[in-house]
Amino acid sequence: MEQAPQVNGAQAGSPAPGLAVHGTGLAPVTIASLTAGGCALLVFVSEHCPTSALALRRLGPLCQAWAQAGLTAVAIFEDPLDLAIRTARRFGWTGHVAAQEPPYPASQAYRLSTVPTAVLVGRDRLVAGKMAGWDQRAMASLLAEAGAQLGAELAMPSDAEPRTKPGCSSKAAIDPDLAAAMAGQNGADELEEMFERGWTDGLPVIPPTAERVEAMLGGLPADASLGPVPPAMGEATLARVAACAVLAGCRPEYFPVVAAAARAALDPAFNLHGQAVTTQPAGQLVVVNGPMREAIGLNSGMGALGPGFRANLTIGRALRLLVCLTGGAMPGAMDRSTLGHMGKLSFCIAEDEETSPWEPLHVERGFAADRSVVTVIGSDAPLSISDHRSRTPEDLAYILAWAAASAWSTNWWPLAEPSVFVICPEHAQMFREAGWTKQRLRQFMFEAVRRPASLLRRGETTQVVHAAPPDALVPKWASPEAIVLLVAGGEAGRYSAVLGPCTGMGSQIVSREVESRGR
Amino acid sequence: VAADYVSPFDERVRTPEPLAPRPASMAGSRVVLLDIRKNRGAEFLDRIETLLAAAGAATARVTKEIFSKPAALSLIDEIASGGGLVVEALAD
Repeated sequence: MEQAPQVNGAQAGSPAPGLAVHGTGLAPVTIASLTAGGCALLVFVSEHCPTSALALRRLGPLCQAWAQAGLTAVAIFEDPLDLAIRTARRFGWTGHVAAQEPPYPASQAYRLSTVPTAVLVGRDRLVAGKMAGWDQRAMASLLAEAGAQLGAELAMPSDAEPRTKPGCSSKAAIDPDLAAAMAGQNGADELEEMFERGWTDGLPVIPPTAERVEAMLGGLPADASLGPVPPAMGEATLARVAACAVLAGCRPEYFPVVAAAARAALDPAFNLHGQAVTTQPAGQLVVVNGPMREAIGLNSGMGALGPGFRANLTIGRALRLLVCLTGGAMPGAMDRSTLGHMGKLSFCIAEDEETSPWEPLHVERGFAADRSVVTVIGSDAPLSISDHRSRTPEDLAYILAWAAASAWSTNWWPLAEPSVFVICPEHAQMFREAGWTKQRLRQFMFEAVRRPASLLRRGETTQVVHAAPPDALVPKWASPEAIVLLVAGGEAGRYSAVLGPCTGMGSQIVSREVESRGR
Repeated sequence: VAADYVSPFDERVRTPEPLAPRPASMAGSRVVLLDIRKNRGAEFLDRIETLLAAAGAATARVTKEIFSKPAALSLIDEIASGGGLVVEALAD
């Protein structure tokens, strides 16, 4: 920061006074740095001033072209830097941004009475001219002078009404006590800023400060990449994955699970590309197995598919934010889902391996039982299945399986993609007592749900249905393997659920082991 | 002072590729028709192919692995080297 000399700084032909301001970069903002490539245009503004807004909006889009011609434009706010950055972005200012605090030494040094005031500083670092308030002709003169010094023709703001507009009082020109009172509540709100930046899924987020992201990474290399995130193919550096985890509200100890979910979802076999842009509602279900569940407080019990548990909600949300932000798949933009579903905010479930009568999902998929594993599955919203009356495993299996008869679409039989059944503990207990293995239940469900082809030939249906003889029984699933069975939920209550598939795009289930930070 | 945030976005700016010049006439041109395998896309391409033939263009058909995945680079190379023009069909 330069000391602001007490001179009559704004007089044409006098040396441009130093700038006691904060910039956005690491390097200090000085007259020398601003004029290193040619001339500088200092535009003093204030957030509360409509004429300042006018100047920012008219000049803002031109700054990049000016910079290429050798004219460096900087908006110098009489506001805190965070408010200055937000205001500049809001009005389309593409030049540098700097800010000063009470008693506004740069404004004092340039003897400002009015904002906006634009001061042209020439190659020789002398004040070459100024504009107070908004004055189209005065601005044209400044740009003509700069152009003459640079030997370039500079882009001019469009000639539009109002051509002149009085400015507002500079805060440096009012009573210091009043200026300090005005600066007390500056209106800066970092949560609102996250919305302005578009760093959200529509809910408030935790700002991803460098400190929070560093803590989330826990020593992992920030620049290491997990690969491009479809559909926009933004690079999933660990820093960006960690930023999404911070935004989502994760604690640092969740991050290995978030990273494993990201690695799984970015496997081409999962076809995140198709899932992210489809008109289907599919979300990305994250299933966590193994010791990590208890270590980080993932809920697999009461309300396992619902609210109330930070680890579940924020891990699922972190993956979705990665898809939406780094991957560019925001609903209404590249995400073209007709309806979507609430699982596209967050969709993370832990399996209750301790209550389950069967081997857990990750063991079925070839991992050792003591490993922590994340599995991702393209899934529709849960459909609850009440059954408090079945007294045999056959009856219960029949009720559960037929609930999925309309999964994807009423007459779309068979489904090749996975339907996920979340079996509640009371239902699981009936199968345990009867000695049913997971394979037996899956086979029973597969064989139970069949219909004559003639009853399925209406509306959206499949080639299999059309090709089959009218009386041929068509199964709901192409194979038993399309039925995924998990156990989760509260100990009381006989409500299981089925999650329909993401269909027609070859999305496979993908699992990744959770890596400790040391690996 | 503004907080130092880590952006979740990939901030690299991509330069838009300019569109290739539009042909004045289809006569004598070779057109690759890309079927992305969306339902009934082939029917749409059949109609296009008929119209192109009437306009004097030669056509060739290629097919993506599946509509929901980006085309393989080898297919893009095949299209780029095999035809002067390309029509991509989306239907449902």
